[in-house]
Amino acid sequence: MAAMKGLTVFIADMRKCRSREEEERRVNKELANIRTKFKDNSLNGYNRKKYVCKLVYMSLLGYDVNFGHREAVELINSSKYSEKQVGYLAVTLVVPEESDFLRMVVGAMRRDIHDTNEFNVCLALNAIANLGAREIASALTPDIFMQLVSSASSVFAKKKAALCLLRLLRRHPDAVNSHEWATRVIPYMGHRDIGVTMSVTSLVTALAQQYPDEMRKAGAFAVRRLKSLVIDNSYSMDYMYYNVPVPWLQIKFLRLLQYFPAPENPELRMQLLDILRHIIDVSQEPQRDLQQMNAQYSILFEAINLGIELDIDQGLMQECAVLLGKFITSRETNVRYLGLETMAHLAAYIENLDAVKTYQGVIIQSLRDRDVSVRRRALDLLYSMCDVSNAKMIVSELLRHMAVADFALREEMALKVAILTEKYATEYSWYVDVMMRLLSLAGDHMGDEVWHRVVQVILGNEELQTYACKISLQTLKAPVCHESAFKVSAYVLGEFGHLIANAEDCAPIDQLKALQAKMPATSVSGRNVALTTIAKFINLFPEIKSLCLRILDRYRNALDAELQQRACEYYALGTLENEDLLPTVFEEMPPFPDRQSALMSRLLKKEADTEDQRTWVFGGREINRERKMHTPSTPTTPRPPELPEPASPQAPASPQQPAEDLAVRKSKRHYTRLLWENDGILFDGDEIQVGLVSQFKAPAGRVGVFLGNKATAPLSDISVQAIAQDMNLAIAQAANQDPLPSALMPLGQVRLFFDIACKNAFAQPPLLRITYNIAGSSSTVELQMPVTVTHFMDPVTISVGDFFARWKQLGEGDVGEAQSVISMPFLKTDQAGMQWLRSVVGGVGFALINGADPEPDNIVGVGIVSSESARFGCLVRAEPKKEHGMTRFTVRSTNADIAKVALANIAMIVESK
Amino acid sequence: MIRFILVQNRQGKTRLEKWYQTYTEQERLKLKAEVHRTVASRDQKHQSNFVEFHNHRVVYRRYAGLFFCFCIDTNDNELAYLEAIHLFVEVLDSYHGNVCELDLVFNFYRVYQVLDEMILAGEIQETSRSVILGRLDQLDKLE
Repeated sequence: MAAMKGLTVFIADMRKCRSREEEERRVNKELANIRTKFKDNSLNGYNRKKYVCKLVYMSLLGYDVNFGHREAVELINSSKYSEKQVGYLAVTLVVPEESDFLRMVVGAMRRDIHDTNEFNVCLALNAIANLGAREIASALTPDIFMQLVSSASSVFAKKKAALCLLRLLRRHPDAVNSHEWATRVIPYMGHRDIGVTMSVTSLVTALAQQYPDEMRKAGAFAVRRLKSLVIDNSYSMDYMYYNVPVPWLQIKFLRLLQYFPAPENPELRMQLLDILRHIIDVSQEPQRDLQQMNAQYSILFEAINLGIELDIDQGLMQECAVLLGKFITSRETNVRYLGLETMAHLAAYIENLDAVKTYQGVIIQSLRDRDVSVRRRALDLLYSMCDVSNAKMIVSELLRHMAVADFALREEMALKVAILTEKYATEYSWYVDVMMRLLSLAGDHMGDEVWHRVVQVILGNEELQTYACKISLQTLKAPVCHESAFKVSAYVLGEFGHLIANAEDCAPIDQLKALQAKMPATSVSGRNVALTTIAKFINLFPEIKSLCLRILDRYRNALDAELQQRACEYYALGTLENEDLLPTVFEEMPPFPDRQSALMSRLLKKEADTEDQRTWVFGGREINRERKMHTPSTPTTPRPPELPEPASPQAPASPQQPAEDLAVRKSKRHYTRLLWENDGILFDGDEIQVGLVSQFKAPAGRVGVFLGNKATAPLSDISVQAIAQDMNLAIAQAANQDPLPSALMPLGQVRLFFDIACKNAFAQPPLLRITYNIAGSSSTVELQMPVTVTHFMDPVTISVGDFFARWKQLGEGDVGEAQSVISMPFLKTDQAGMQWLRSVVGGVGFALINGADPEPDNIVGVGIVSSESARFGCLVRAEPKKEHGMTRFTVRSTNADIAKVALANIAMIVESK
Repeated sequence: MIRFILVQNRQGKTRLEKWYQTYTEQERLKLKAEVHRTVASRDQKHQSNFVEFHNHRVVYRRYAGLFFCFCIDTNDNELAYLEAIHLFVEVLDSYHGNVCELDLVFNFYRVYQVLDEMILAGEIQETSRSVILGRLDQLDKLE
């Protein structure tokens, strides 16, 4: 396109302007000029193009251009390419999306898409991708799709069409009917043109998140093409970028594969591992220049991410960990940055954090990196790699760093410290101390959520309250006290001040004085909290009632409306004749229901703002596992887990056994298997089969019951009930599900979900009662549900040295211990028997602590049971004697029931082998 | 996905802006100023080419007096976009014959054309220099 002289002159004029006023004058003059020109009907195409271009330029400079839309549309309708191009440019840059002109543009686009001139087709597609308006999505999707799949369209049109579909799919998922064409685009990942492959792969990646199952075969395409790029070196030289073959396409494939589970086909799996290894090897070769290094590393990091996500080769994971360890000390800041970020990904999946913990010192050092971006990644990583064993160390480092950290980082740091402290607190005093320190240090940088959460935690944990009171009083007595710390202290004393009232210097009057002394210096909201505390004191400590009333009385004249209102109401309450009301109003607060902490949601919300879904989040293994369980890959249409394949071959039962006995044995086998696996068959009868799928996130859980009709006649009047046998366990049908059908046809299946809540340690698993009518006779089946207290146990790693300290501690106190010696004859012969035993102990929910027991064959493990009202530690020790074929199991817990149930579960599993 | 692309000079004048997500005029003004503040103040030698920006990340590279900034998602591959910037600059360089700031000013409508051949809908469309330049050459010959 030839340059437009008038435009060049105008831009030069504008650049000459010395001040904004001068520039505005020039713009106004030009706008007036263009308006008159546009009134002239004989304006030729060239001039129209030139003036529209000037308007675009002015609007880019920030001037409000609200005319010329008609001229832009006229340009689009021109037969000349350069005029059409400027027309579309103006429409995408100047015409607002809600304008009426857009409808005219859609008509022009449709015409251009079907034009025989492929340049016009491409211009229209560019504009569609840039505009992405809803009208376009609903009117043109089929036409765009045709451009992608038609054999007549050029490769340029194909790649643009694919990205147009992507844009519309992302912006208006409801308007593009993607389910109709999603799988049809997959074959174009094999297109010979790299540009087409690349664009289609971007589209497929988005579709894979919506239709994970349907799109799965795209994985095979990706592996095959990666293999040809990485291993067979087959690519066109046009696509070499500094000696690296199409890095962007390699990355696209590696990224797409992260949205699928590891391929089941062993050959494909091998190929994929080969590719990953190859990429790692190539990256070790010396690189010639920065571009080559960046390109190589961009692929390497994506390959590591895929390796972590697939999680199929422990050797590879270890190798990645070592590589990352090297990267985080690199001299290249970019590499350090990415090394830390990717290591956080590793920490989100790796079973044994030791590989990451090796670098703890370096990572803490990185909190002081020169670059704030790197510091941020170090914080994320520390947050992700935290567990019981290093929590104290990491939290104290973060607190130490808080005072010097960037302001922008402090809020996030404070949130993360608060979450870690709550999660890994093993001593109550530690939690209270850290949180009080955090509030004093970073109170200015965080929202109210943090101090609200501290109050919630203290209310929910009785054991914490006395200590919290002492610290609160100390905090109030200190010379300076931060606003948030003041609020927590005031609240805590108001609720539990009586717990310490008999201690020295903690008498009611001391508490009140300490509180009162700090009131004038705090903000209105702080004083509001304090007034409520004083009102509560009237109830708690009648001996200081008059003093309290005097303070309240003073605030009855406060200028602030809220303060005044509280003071008046509390004063009135305190002076009522009827003394019954006060204790009722100020009764102790009930513990907060344990819903997801607001801190967590705040953190996660920030990360969720991505176009392609994140495959992982910062915060370690636990939260990532939970995330995988709870977020079905299809956000719009969650699909229920499918009934597992019909039962695997049953153990051969001796024919002499009576039928009844056999059924019981079989069902017990099923039950036992479900004690350590999350899904499977619970009951397999002649008429019905019952399958179970369960997810537990202590203290809650959800069980899906699948009822299949194995008979030849329909089942009717079906009812499925779950009955809790223990008051500490609640089980109820989940809300919002379809009612059971009136009849279930042969081979048909229904499902029903139950929500479970563990209120406290319980001994009895719930019962599942299924009744149905078949051929006129009714039947009832009662089954024990494999829901025991150990299902609410999460594995916890502690350091090797700590284990026996805890073990002894639990052994000394008046706590639960259960022990039994179980005969395991297979240990004598079966080499894999020991490994199996380890997997059983792990499967029940313990984290195995390797190397803690001096006897190498012994297995020890740690778990924590979380119920709604309390948490219980639970330790296990298994001492196998191979030569005798016996194993002694000992379980110790802070709760006797838990020890018994954990032991019983292990015994059942072991005896069923 | 790329949220937006900005090319700004050291004084913070925006020479190229391309938005792949809809923002209002006010938001755009604010973002442009913020990106400039965030990026220009960073130490070019000892700091990475990546910086946190609201819920996203800005990947940037400085060429002479111009900052080329891509705002991307937190789960995108930073280095891949860093090299996409370089590829874009190389294409501009060959197309304009040693590109300078003024080329971007006077030929703004052409720069958009270059961009549309390389990046579309916030995703990378074509990465072969010769394919892109060949296509641009073809387009230039059209009337």
